[in-house]
Amino acid sequence: MPVANKPMAEANTRDLFPGALEMMILESLRRQPAHGYALVLHIQQRSNNLLQVEEGSLYPALQRLLKAKLVKAEWGISTTNRRVRTYQITASGLRHLEKQISSFERMLEGISLVLDQGTSIAN
Amino acid sequence: MSWIPAIFRRRKLFEDLNEEMRLHIEERVEQLVSEGSSHQEAEQAARRAFGNLTVLEERSREVWQWTTLESIWADVRYSLRQLKKSPGFSFTVILSLTVGLGANTTIFTFVNALLLRPPAVADGGQLIEVMTHNAKASGIEAYSNLSYPGYVDLRDHNRSLSGFAAFDGDPHVVSWSHGGGGQIVYGQLVSSNLFSVLGVEPALGRFFQPDEGKGGAPTVVISHSFWQRELGGDRSVLGRVLVLNGGSYTVIGVAPESFAGVIIGLRHDFWTTLAMTPTLIHDPTLMGSKNSHWLFGVGRLKPGVSRSEAQADLTVLIRNAYASDPNAAGMDAIATPLEIVPGPFRGYVAAFTGLLMAAVGLVLLIACANAANLVLARTATRRRELAVRSALGASRFRIIRQGLTECLMLSMIGGAGGLLVAYWSIPELLSLKPATIPVSIDAPLDWHVLTFAFVASLLSGIAFGVIPVLRSTRRGLIPALKDDRQIAGPRRSQLRGSIVIAQITVCLVLLISAGLCVRSLFNARSIDPGFSTHDIAVARLDPGSLGYTQAQDRQFYQELLERVRALPGLSSASLSDYLPLGTSRTVHCIHIQGVNPPPGEDFIPLQVASVAPDYFKTMGTPVLAGREFSAQDIQPNSGKVIVNQAMATHYWPGQNPIGQHFKDDKQTVEIVGVVKTGKYRSLGEDPLDFMYLPLRSQPQEFLVVRTRTGEEAALGEIRHVIQSLDPNVVPMEMETISQYMALPLFAAHTTGVLLAVFGCVALLLATVGLSGTVSYSVSQRTNEIGVRMALGADRRGVVRLILKQGMRLSGIGILIGLAMSFAATRLLAGLLYGIKADDPLTFVSVALFLGSVALISCYLPARRAASIDPMKSLRAE
Repeated sequence: MPVANKPMAEANTRDLFPGALEMMILESLRRQPAHGYALVLHIQQRSNNLLQVEEGSLYPALQRLLKAKLVKAEWGISTTNRRVRTYQITASGLRHLEKQISSFERMLEGISLVLDQGTSIAN
Repeated sequence: MSWIPAIFRRRKLFEDLNEEMRLHIEERVEQLVSEGSSHQEAEQAARRAFGNLTVLEERSREVWQWTTLESIWADVRYSLRQLKKSPGFSFTVILSLTVGLGANTTIFTFVNALLLRPPAVADGGQLIEVMTHNAKASGIEAYSNLSYPGYVDLRDHNRSLSGFAAFDGDPHVVSWSHGGGGQIVYGQLVSSNLFSVLGVEPALGRFFQPDEGKGGAPTVVISHSFWQRELGGDRSVLGRVLVLNGGSYTVIGVAPESFAGVIIGLRHDFWTTLAMTPTLIHDPTLMGSKNSHWLFGVGRLKPGVSRSEAQADLTVLIRNAYASDPNAAGMDAIATPLEIVPGPFRGYVAAFTGLLMAAVGLVLLIACANAANLVLARTATRRRELAVRSALGASRFRIIRQGLTECLMLSMIGGAGGLLVAYWSIPELLSLKPATIPVSIDAPLDWHVLTFAFVASLLSGIAFGVIPVLRSTRRGLIPALKDDRQIAGPRRSQLRGSIVIAQITVCLVLLISAGLCVRSLFNARSIDPGFSTHDIAVARLDPGSLGYTQAQDRQFYQELLERVRALPGLSSASLSDYLPLGTSRTVHCIHIQGVNPPPGEDFIPLQVASVAPDYFKTMGTPVLAGREFSAQDIQPNSGKVIVNQAMATHYWPGQNPIGQHFKDDKQTVEIVGVVKTGKYRSLGEDPLDFMYLPLRSQPQEFLVVRTRTGEEAALGEIRHVIQSLDPNVVPMEMETISQYMALPLFAAHTTGVLLAVFGCVALLLATVGLSGTVSYSVSQRTNEIGVRMALGADRRGVVRLILKQGMRLSGIGILIGLAMSFAATRLLAGLLYGIKADDPLTFVSVALFLGSVALISCYLPARRAASIDPMKSLRAE
């Protein structure tokens, strides 16, 4: 059975494409290790709150990354003295991220070329 | 095996995950509280922002699971719990399916045994069976086997086969002399290369050399079962000498256990080479005869040669061989894949088993309809549970899958039960085969059967599950969460109604077919075969196989008759070379003055038999005019014959047949008696002309004995007399006339018994289905009935209301069923005796019978409906 990747989003928000959330998590973790809550905050802030990621949907994504050994997790105590499970990117996670970003950029370039063309015709 | 630690590690993973998610929400709550929300608000907001905890948790876990496999396993466990909770429902569905699938598995086991199992040989795909086919004849008659010279010609001149072997299609009944007496064993004559062409390796010793039996000492290969059964599996058996039909044969090898011959069912105890034909069966002419077609050919294709290329190659040889014979124009070789039922006969076996498969298929259909109806009723009562699950985040797909899993669990349990049914019923079915024919059919529950049972169960599960389950989730489930009682909508009951109609339809088709077959069986039993079917004992003897000379034969039979006639309990005894309804046939060519032979022939072909004095008295065949043969008629060239009534009226209408003369071959013969026409080839045949000749001594004869004290007792006494004459002479067949009749009645008996059983099962299932549906609708309409009664409807009115509903469904089903039966029973026409496939009496009476059964099965729930206390049912509202 295919497992739906789609979070239970509100009807008017756009779904992320498959793998986008993982990519953002890896990118955040590349900068610094973090626990789940901190990751959510980080992604929301960095995207200027443009991306309304349902907070919980982070966890299935983190499990997938853990299983693929792209990240590793450890229980510890945070600076604010909370018990947290901190995620850290692995070497293969870094390699995976590089590949993902470059393929994502190509895709974005392609899409924007097509969209720009549409705009210029409309103009 | 890395998944084993993974399963234990997983518990830790899931605990971490839960903890982590809980901490996440906690942290969010704290933050919101610090921003000034109340704790309650903060908690709600945090949960909203987090999303559906259950779903997310499930999806996170799924990452670590083999999603499909494990969630299916979860479904399976959940289903089992659900089924355990409603044992009545589960039991009824499983029972229905066990019956339906059991019948199918059983019949399929026979289809498999007869048509699908390859012979136990090496690389069977390269093996072909070779027969000749005459384009001028039709049906099974067009195929014939090879003569020995014909076989040798094909073996030596073909270019397409790497090896070409032959074997005698008929097993030979052979008397094995040991321990001072004789015992019947079955032997087959084979070409010395048969085993090497088939690629079979001996279990012990060796198989035949190419020139085995030519000049050297006679040798045999024994079968594994004979070795185990009669020789105790003794490994020192090689070199042992067996005395078979009076000759000595040295055992050189034991065939492997898996090899029971190439053709189904024929039991073989030993094999010897074709070169032994004159010695073993005392027939000196068979090997040289071009006109005796007695050998099956088996060839192994050369690499890269196709079956059709081989067929073309062999056809050229056959046409060359017959080039000088104008009658043989249109003779072809036919190469069929080697199967345990030889090519030309497969069609007949397939038609017969196909008919039975169709019947059990219908039974399964009814069983599935029952199951579907029960599942429908159950999903209706489970709507609230489904609604809750859906509200908790289960997707529609998941609910459907869960529902189907439940149905598949039921059908799989039913399928397993069906295998048990097959396991128990196969020996019963095998016992329908007449015990006296030396054929053993091996019908194992092999992997073909297991696969069939599995696939049939799977398809049934889907068939009865898919519609109810899809329906259960189609309309929004939310109303079910409210206290919604009016859930039995008209469409749902319409679906249930059509299922019941289909059940009644199919049931009627089966019952009518069963009715026809059962009546046909009674007809067949009451067909007058022209002889008495009780108080007769028969024995087939062949002292010639022990090397008796003609004079010895005559003396043996003479003494035998005298001694048997002296036995106290017997009223008469006689001899013949033929028993009616047997498989052998002798045809003479006759000329009758003033009668033209059939077109294309220059004589009249006529089936004949030779009988001794007292034959007709013993067999209970009435002599209508003239007399039986006398002792004088037996003398050579007496020229006396007896004809049957059909022949007498055919050629001498309105004349006295007694004293008429005609030419039988060269000799002029005179009719001295006319006997009642009987059945000679099959019970269903139209009257045939038949002529009896006086029996002169022959090596192989039937002893027929009429007894006053019971057939079974007579058998023992006769055996004793034969033993006292020569202990080595063993009757090849020894049976009562009723045992003998089992063979001609076999097809009618089998279809009659089986279809009657299937019909009863179908009736039972359909009755359960109908009364279940009506009961269910009564339970759904309790309120309505309560209101009606409160408003003044009397109990009889309520009974009528419910009956009307049930009988409407049954009526429609019966009407459609009658129409379909007209079409379906045509397939049976060839199997029926003395009854037409559209016999109106059967149609009408079965329809009325089914109607009254339907009425009774509706009446019980209707009475229950009428006993509803209106006050109680309204208060429950």
